[in-house]
Amino acid sequence: MRIREKYTGFLFIFPAFLLLVSILGFPAFAAVMQSFNLIWVKIPSFSLTSYHRLIGDVEFLGTLKNTVIFVGLTVSFHLLIGLGVALLLNLEIRNKRFFRVIAILPWTVPDVIGGLIWRFMFDTLPGMINAILLEFAIIVDPIDWLGNPKLAFGCLIFAETWRGYPFAMLILLAGLQAIPQVQYEAAQIDGASKFQSFFYITLPNLKYMIIIAFVLDTIWESRLFGMIYSMTGGGPGYSSQVLSLLTYKHYFLFFNTSYAGAIAVVLAVFMLIISLPYLVMTMRRE
Amino acid sequence: MIKKTFSFLIILLAALFIPHGYSSAEAADVTISYSDWQLAQDIWGRSLREAIAKFEGLNPGIKVKPEPVALGQRDVKFTTAIRGGKGPDVFALDANPVKQYIKEGWVKDLTPFIEKEGGKEWLADFYPASLMPVTENGKTYGVPKNVVAMVLVYNSKIFNDAGIPNPPKTWKEFREIAKKLTMDTDGDGKVDQWGVTLVLAKACFDLRFSVVLRGHGGDFLTPDWKHSNLNTPEAKEAFNMVVDMILKDKSMPPGVAQVDCNGARRLMAHKKVGMIFGTMWTITEVAGMNPDLHGWKVLEMAPVPQPEESASKIRSTLYQKSLFMNPNTKHPEAAWKLLKFLTDNRQMEKWFIDNNMLSCRRSVNDSFGPILQSKYAAIVTEEIDQHAAFLPLMPQWPECLETFRQSLQAAVAGQKPPEQALMDAHNQIETILGR
Repeated sequence: MRIREKYTGFLFIFPAFLLLVSILGFPAFAAVMQSFNLIWVKIPSFSLTSYHRLIGDVEFLGTLKNTVIFVGLTVSFHLLIGLGVALLLNLEIRNKRFFRVIAILPWTVPDVIGGLIWRFMFDTLPGMINAILLEFAIIVDPIDWLGNPKLAFGCLIFAETWRGYPFAMLILLAGLQAIPQVQYEAAQIDGASKFQSFFYITLPNLKYMIIIAFVLDTIWESRLFGMIYSMTGGGPGYSSQVLSLLTYKHYFLFFNTSYAGAIAVVLAVFMLIISLPYLVMTMRRE
Repeated sequence: MIKKTFSFLIILLAALFIPHGYSSAEAADVTISYSDWQLAQDIWGRSLREAIAKFEGLNPGIKVKPEPVALGQRDVKFTTAIRGGKGPDVFALDANPVKQYIKEGWVKDLTPFIEKEGGKEWLADFYPASLMPVTENGKTYGVPKNVVAMVLVYNSKIFNDAGIPNPPKTWKEFREIAKKLTMDTDGDGKVDQWGVTLVLAKACFDLRFSVVLRGHGGDFLTPDWKHSNLNTPEAKEAFNMVVDMILKDKSMPPGVAQVDCNGARRLMAHKKVGMIFGTMWTITEVAGMNPDLHGWKVLEMAPVPQPEESASKIRSTLYQKSLFMNPNTKHPEAAWKLLKFLTDNRQMEKWFIDNNMLSCRRSVNDSFGPILQSKYAAIVTEEIDQHAAFLPLMPQWPECLETFRQSLQAAVAGQKPPEQALMDAHNQIETILGR
């Protein structure tokens, strides 16, 4: 009976485990095997060629740099703006629910659609941004937003900041609401200013939530595809290309499956390193 | 109790046998799927569905399920499905990815079916060039459907208004005319009409840019497709001309780096540019985008310009659409019937009437009245016959092309001087081909 009880839990998690293995585990395993040229090729043989090629590939190194900058900046902006909006929405204001819905709206837009919307907004000739700037005589000639490498990358970060900040905001808002009010009341009695309350009560209480938002958002942004694909396609040149896009290109456009597998493995390792603090933290708490 | 049990058994038996009887009646019909990116387009989609309905009428035992696919997602969808043992029974491809499909075994060898139809005799009606993309080691993997060659499409009204009587014959004239057509037409002090737009975005870049290169007497690769040909003076001249037209002459609209083929057509439809590179479908598409343009009246075609006294015969690029059979199909006979039907003479004539598309069958282009009377077809068929060639038909081609496109974009964006951008593309393509 005891043995039966012991294994009942396993029985319950088995369907979910099976689903995870088939949906996530198998493709991940297949990508690793493909990167070593071991499956789905005419003559399978263990090879490190794809990994060697990565080291000397200028496009891969440039794309890796783009990915680090893109993820670093978007996640930072998400956390900063998310925290700011969460603090505002945590205040006792009228129509609080309405503002919460408005603040969450960008998150409901699928990333491909978001990319297309911003692409049309930033379009050089019929785009809304140039139309407004020209109307108010802020610029004389239309700006080629997505044709200039630096501007295109900036526009992409701007658009993804808009679309992704509600995720961080929701996590931080939940964290803010869990802070006991008595802590603020005690600080007020002790004569603490609002800034002191923020730095000594709010931030320490939000520490775990910030780490969770940071890790999950970093993973999400590292594998972002739709927004970049539909907005700039990685261009001009490969100035706004990230690793997920390069993987797609090599797998589906150039049919370099082994090389695409190697890029995907590097991306997975990158994400695993980022997610380690989250995993350690979750395990410790349990 | 016995009555209840008996009723239950009756219901159970009925439940077991009625659906079985129904499905065995349905099993007499074979359902095959047909996937084509043009099914998702308005005019082409209607035309293809009409043909499919006709096919179903002629073959009562076969049902065809049309499966539209976005062009950008086509290879992702097909290759993933075929690798997984599924996918459409019959599908359409342009010439670019075909060799890779053949190499990977993603298309069925049609030689046995063709042999039954008469083998070489059956194939003899197709242009020999159109069989090149679908043939490998003497085996035929697809049936050619439509073929066109790229030419210069220009708005004769814009030309007349600017006092330009004829289309450019040389690149020098092309550049001068482009400058002349770039102007402010509404008098607000801002340029609102440009001479020409090229396609620098990914979609359709290959066909449009290749004619600039070939028109200059150059090409992406050497004739044996083993080396890059971008270090030749002709390639440098073509590359520099495009960069200069964008950055110095400003005779292409701002934002040209993001212009894809639809964007180019839209600019022409709304009289924003005087010239684009296109072909038969350009007229249908542009005229459809803006009826006020009166496209069929004002749009004209001319061969791709060439340098004065050029000795190069090839100046244009062939585009071909062919039909293929999935190696996973469970109904190869029905699939072959559909494939044969969609490429027979009658349907080829329909594709011209409905979509202004020329046929891969020489007999159709040489004898069908409406084709013979078309001013556009006269120019394009001559290019197909005399002056056009396919882009390299090899697995590494998509990667070579994308490398070149990225370098051109880098030069246009000012990231690199044109000479360095072209040399970088040359060296990278050499690396790709040397692997």
